[in-house]
Amino acid sequence: MATVEFNGKSFEVDEDGFLLSFDGWNPEWVEFVKEQEGIAEITDDHQKVIEFLQDYYKKNGIAPMVRILSKVTGFKLKQIYELFPSGPGKGACKMAGLPKPTGCV
Amino acid sequence: MAFISSGYNPEKPMENRITDIGPREYKEFLPPIIEKNFGKWVYHEIVEPGMLMHKAESGDEVYTVRCGGARLMSVTHIREICDIADKFCDGHLRFTTRNNIEFMVDSLEKAQELKKYLNDQKFSGGSHKYPVGGTGAGVTNIVHTQGWVHCHTPATDASGTVKATMDTVFDEFQNMRLPAPVRISMACCLNMCGAVHCSDIAILGIHRKPPMVDHKVLDNICEVPLAVAACPTGAIRPTKVEIDGKSYKTVAVKEERCMFCGNCYTMCPAMPLSDKEGDGVALMVGGKISNRITKPAFSKVVVPFIPNEPPRWPTMTKVIKQILDAYAEDARKYERLGDWANRIGWERFFEKCGLEFTEHLIDDFRDPAYYTWRQTTQFKF
Repeated sequence: MATVEFNGKSFEVDEDGFLLSFDGWNPEWVEFVKEQEGIAEITDDHQKVIEFLQDYYKKNGIAPMVRILSKVTGFKLKQIYELFPSGPGKGACKMAGLPKPTGCV
Repeated sequence: MAFISSGYNPEKPMENRITDIGPREYKEFLPPIIEKNFGKWVYHEIVEPGMLMHKAESGDEVYTVRCGGARLMSVTHIREICDIADKFCDGHLRFTTRNNIEFMVDSLEKAQELKKYLNDQKFSGGSHKYPVGGTGAGVTNIVHTQGWVHCHTPATDASGTVKATMDTVFDEFQNMRLPAPVRISMACCLNMCGAVHCSDIAILGIHRKPPMVDHKVLDNICEVPLAVAACPTGAIRPTKVEIDGKSYKTVAVKEERCMFCGNCYTMCPAMPLSDKEGDGVALMVGGKISNRITKPAFSKVVVPFIPNEPPRWPTMTKVIKQILDAYAEDARKYERLGDWANRIGWERFFEKCGLEFTEHLIDDFRDPAYYTWRQTTQFKF
């Protein structure tokens, strides 16, 4: 798979631009991904979503369901789309370094 | 080819973005005669195979000529369909729920001219481009899926099996001599996209080997609890393995509990299971969705496995023809394939179709399996 370089850091990614390994995540990754995900600047709200996704993944081994994400962060789905135009899966999970969503998507 | 912008600005992706406009309103595309008589149809008849006539209160008649489509088609082909619609139908046409193409005209003469024209069109290989048919008690188009053309979980091909089958039953597409319509459907894995679970005859791609687990990458690309929860038989559990002194979080598959459904691969890319020799098709029969006379029914498995034999799947098409012929000869008028099998009894169905009954056909999935066994002394020798 491809390796991308950004600000002196290198990341292993797949063809959809998801990190191949959650452990390969670091804050630089967010800066690198934000452009392709249509995000101008990372706000505290973005940060809150990313941190929650990572906590949940570390604790449970899965990404949270959309309703759990909404309930815990307090952001409605509409607000999540405003923060991450590609949505919670392709946008937020990718930035948080979670594995690519699977199933019939 | 060099990049040509549509006007979309990747610097400002949300600028001038149009969303949530939904599909075009269907009324924009109605032929004038359909629009005029909308909701005022009195009766219809099938004039001849592939040709319908609808009579309206106003006395207007609409003739519909139905022709087969391969479903997977190029823009060139669609343009040719548009050319036909321009030439005969003032630019109007429609596709049916079984992916046939329907052209509508206002007189019998025009319809017959159109039918002749459509039947004359051939591809350079000799296949009909627009074979007219698919009406009444015949075999219409096969509802099918992606197969090896586009999907990542198939156990067989869709377009290939469907072409081979339609070639075998082509006469029934252009005729209406069966006891009732026979719906054939095809799905390339048991996700069963489409209609295989409720069709008179169904072709279903199946695996026969458990998934191969790629322990080294599994935890990186999969959410382990999802893979565990994807299994209908509880054959998967989380575990750790050591490879070259390194410990990996992964899953273990209890192979004697695995029935090769492939759900875990859908959820977890590190568990592929497709296999050239292992994969093949199962045939199911007797399903229907209409409420006519009998209730809707699921189709039942009658052939557990036929190997994949690309490009023509000869064994599979032979068995389908066998089932269709036995049904056509023996069933009563209006009797769907499942109605026929239920009336004569499934032991007779296997006898008449010349199919072998094996232990694979006996349901063993959870409590409801019990209800599929025979709790009566009523059976035929």
